[in-house]
Amino acid sequence: MSSSRQLSESRAIPTRTVLINDTTQLPHDYCTTPGGTLFSTTPGGTRIIYDRKFLLDRRNSPIAQTPPAHLPVIPGVTSQNILTENHKNEANNHINNHEGKPATGDDAQFEMDI
Amino acid sequence: MQFILSFSLKDDDSGDHDQDQGPPKDCEKENIEDEEREQNSSKKKMVVPGAGEHPLQYNYTFWYSRRTPGRPASTQSYEQNIKQIGSFASVEQFWRFYSHMIRPGDLTGHSDFHLFKEGIKPMWEDDANKMGGKWIIRLRKGLASRCWENLILAMLGEQFMVGEEICGAVVSVRFQEDIISIWNKTASDQATTARIRDTLRRVLNLPPNTIMEYKTHTDSIKYVCLTCFIIYCLSFFLLLLRQSNMLPAVYLPK
Repeated sequence: MSSSRQLSESRAIPTRTVLINDTTQLPHDYCTTPGGTLFSTTPGGTRIIYDRKFLLDRRNSPIAQTPPAHLPVIPGVTSQNILTENHKNEANNHINNHEGKPATGDDAQFEMDI
Repeated sequence: MQFILSFSLKDDDSGDHDQDQGPPKDCEKENIEDEEREQNSSKKKMVVPGAGEHPLQYNYTFWYSRRTPGRPASTQSYEQNIKQIGSFASVEQFWRFYSHMIRPGDLTGHSDFHLFKEGIKPMWEDDANKMGGKWIIRLRKGLASRCWENLILAMLGEQFMVGEEICGAVVSVRFQEDIISIWNKTASDQATTARIRDTLRRVLNLPPNTIMEYKTHTDSIKYVCLTCFIIYCLSFFLLLLRQSNMLPAVYLPK
């Protein structure tokens, strides 16, 4: 502890102003809570919220790969083998194409995370 | 009578109202409850997230239903048409089911997947659905798989922000179109239905000019009743004509 007290100079909180002209210039994670959503508060109280990217990322964990116990066998519907493709690459491609033009064609789909 | 109406409700979306569900039977209701008791007793354990898994806000149950198109040889009871696939309580458990199920775009025939909160049956008669309704979105072929996935990820991830209102989601594969719908508890709560609609627009990336329609379950029932009534009247009328030999030959059954 110093023997003499010195008041430090008061300074304004440093801020940075960024001018944006369009909503596409908003950062990807503007106004989101970590692993959360667009809303800064959760109406109705604290809830467990996951965004799409987070859920898709959990797909590749080992505990998500094994078939569930007691999976009913419905031919043509359920299977002990993994039926649905791994969407990891597809999700990454969507995010990479975020700023780009959507592909023209019937299956055009682009990720829009405002 | 209740179960014919509840099953016709799903058909209502596709516009086909063939009357091949057969006469109502009270014993059908008992059969369903027995089957569920059996299912519940064989999996009596509460579904809980495993260690290291990410819990969901609610537990959910997958259901699958299918109706054989055309006239069945015998009356198909409701219980034969809808089956529980399983319940889950965590993100990882969800993926375990989802990865071992076919995508809706690859389903054949007149089939539906239902994903409802645990304890809510995918039928309008359930207490949670009685006063409720649904947003329905008709999609041309080829879009159902991706839209269904985005819909259920949004539902599981609590993106709708309407408290307890969400009941579940359904994807229906029909002849020339597919339909996705999301059911909520209170049809009259316009703030809730508006927020659900806005979230659907945000998360689904629908083709432009896609129409979203909100239907209360009671309205759907009225529509089915009216259509049934008209069909019965027409059938009766044709029968009268046939008996009085006034019909041209082409209308007489072989």
